[in-house]
Amino acid sequence: MQQERQRKNNYPMNTFMTMSLPSDIHYARIASKTAMMVAEFFSGQSGIAEKREEFCHAFELAVAEAFANSVFNAAPQEKERQVMISFSSEKSELMVSVSDANPEFDPEMQVPDILSYPEHGYGLVLIRQLMDSVRYSRQDGMNQLSMIKNAG
Amino acid sequence: MTVNEKKCKGITIVSLNGSLDAASAPGVLNSSSALTDTQSIVIDLSGVDFLDSSGLGCLVGIARKKREQGGDVRLACLNEKLRKVFDITRASRLFDIYDDAEYAAGTAAKK
Amino acid sequence: MKTLIVIREADYGWLTPLFPGVHPLVMPICNKPFIEYLIDFSILAGSTAVRIVSDGPLNDVERYCENGSRWGIDISYASILVDDDLDAVMDKNARYCSEGRMMVTSGFIFISYEKKHELKPFVAMAPAGTLLRGSTGSLLLTGTPENVGEVREPAPCSLVELDSIGSYYRLSTEILNERPSPYVLPGYSNEPDCHIGRNVVTSKGAEIIKPVIIGNNVQIMKGAVVGPFAVIGSNVIVDRESTVSNSMLLDNTYIGENLDIVGRIAYGNILIDPASGVSIAMEDRHLLSGMKRDGIFGLGLFRYLFHAAVSLLFILLLFIPYLLLAPLLKIQGKWKNRTMTFQGVQQGKNVIVVRPSIAGEGVLSGLARSLSLDRFAMLFSALSGRVAVIGSFPVEAGRHQEAATSVLMPGYRPAVFSYAEAEDWPVNAEDSSIVERYYAVHGSPVQDMVLTVKAFLNRIHAQDQP
Repeated sequence: MQQERQRKNNYPMNTFMTMSLPSDIHYARIASKTAMMVAEFFSGQSGIAEKREEFCHAFELAVAEAFANSVFNAAPQEKERQVMISFSSEKSELMVSVSDANPEFDPEMQVPDILSYPEHGYGLVLIRQLMDSVRYSRQDGMNQLSMIKNAG
Repeated sequence: MTVNEKKCKGITIVSLNGSLDAASAPGVLNSSSALTDTQSIVIDLSGVDFLDSSGLGCLVGIARKKREQGGDVRLACLNEKLRKVFDITRASRLFDIYDDAEYAAGTAAKK
Repeated sequence: MKTLIVIREADYGWLTPLFPGVHPLVMPICNKPFIEYLIDFSILAGSTAVRIVSDGPLNDVERYCENGSRWGIDISYASILVDDDLDAVMDKNARYCSEGRMMVTSGFIFISYEKKHELKPFVAMAPAGTLLRGSTGSLLLTGTPENVGEVREPAPCSLVELDSIGSYYRLSTEILNERPSPYVLPGYSNEPDCHIGRNVVTSKGAEIIKPVIIGNNVQIMKGAVVGPFAVIGSNVIVDRESTVSNSMLLDNTYIGENLDIVGRIAYGNILIDPASGVSIAMEDRHLLSGMKRDGIFGLGLFRYLFHAAVSLLFILLLFIPYLLLAPLLKIQGKWKNRTMTFQGVQQGKNVIVVRPSIAGEGVLSGLARSLSLDRFAMLFSALSGRVAVIGSFPVEAGRHQEAATSVLMPGYRPAVFSYAEAEDWPVNAEDSSIVERYYAVHGSPVQDMVLTVKAFLNRIHAQDQP
């Protein structure tokens, strides 16, 4: 009961894994595959079999998008920078946070009309649809995009 | 990402295999001239196991350029994961999507 | 045999503005989503696979039906373009359709049947061609018959087109009134005309008159009468002395006190007259839709002053503990100040508040949490009227889909403490929103104060538990 309450009050999630990757698009697949494996591991651990594939794919895709977003958002001369990815959980919710020190961006961006053949701008739309909850914060010069999905 | 081409009823079928994502998408365009010329083609996606928004953007770009020049792109064999990306972004409104690449080539040839 | 279900956005376009946020294919008819009736029919007709094809989004349908293993068949999905005709649809699904016999349903239709055992032999023997045709939909067969035999005309099924809210309402009531048995999911009650779901609470003096279908998590308050001929969805409250008959209440609907809902469809705060198709957002003072716009704080002025006074009281009470504990915990690194953005009373108007997290298992952290010091900063927001002192558990902006708050939780009012905490209600979003809705209607300033204190004490108590 107490934990239940705390969860509702603060969403303090228990971070169990963090990784830091170079801000280079070639690492995006490592990030997304890792996210998929973490989601697989997590949903297995919590004994949730139903819609497991969908759950894992959601993390795979959302992290791919967040990572690419972060890399493309970086100024070109700042290749040295890193993208931080951390995984946290509480009960049946899994959260992944992707952070970087790049310029601020608009997390509410909408995709332009599909019939005008837009080649960019689908990423955040996908993330918002795939996840139960998406939070963007800007603090101390860092962007953090936190994405939560319930495996239940 | 590997790219293969074959002809079927005079129409080129370009088969993509692997992940079509932000890292691989720029290279795809250079790997096959059929993707950038004005001829109608079918892109067989049965071997694509992962598609992200950059990969989708790449397909949308191919379709736009072809259609501007009188050609067309048909897509074939999207798995559930790819379908989801098309569904959320509503990109399914842009493409003729078939469940059989050779059949798609047949209908393209008739036009 | 396989079935292809073809439904276009234009077929169900009339329904979308009436029920925003619900995909028409999973819209309930009685207690089952629309698409499930077509799937059931396909199975009874002998299909081993179903493909659902549309020019609109299918994500929500996919989420509900998945791969069909629940029904023991394969379900797949495909997209078509708006102007594809039926031939083009078959071309695009050439591989799926290549194995001979196919049944194709087209349009937003319901297929009714009398004797289900006659369907399979009929469909197997009937020659290729159109079996049923309406103005907006049809049922046809392609390929050679699977069995040879004498085909008995006419077809043992008929077509009901869903082209207006009236037809939708008529179909639902017809199924409920006349013949639920071949279609409707069995409930928890053994009576034939009475389907009742899980966790249905009927208060003293409330009455249920058959035939009815009632979903899960439904509260029927004192003196309320439900039925005859009522379809009630899940997460619904019918408040005191209200009656619901010849009506459908969709999921997450609240019916206030002393209301008579007769021959209507209610969804959230929208009330629809199926005969005329007119829909209105309910503004009656007993209904919560009216409360949402009650003053800029979601509270009347008097109630606001009361809330401000209570928050001031709590600020005075917690001031000293805050001064003592917060710096200590900050030094220990257990106290982290965070700014959080919550959805305000009005859609799109967010409230930004400081809401620290207090981590750790130590005595000090425990004490700080039990004194609700994490809510201390928020009390100032209550003092300035940006949030209430007691009300709903604040929903983070961006959490859940947009628009969900106002539709799912009429009476939502972000607050320092929530009614659910006061009632020590199991903390589960669905359940607690029910309690919040209840108090949002029945609360008075004095009760608010009592409940605030109760919520505060409950949080102390919760900390003491192991």
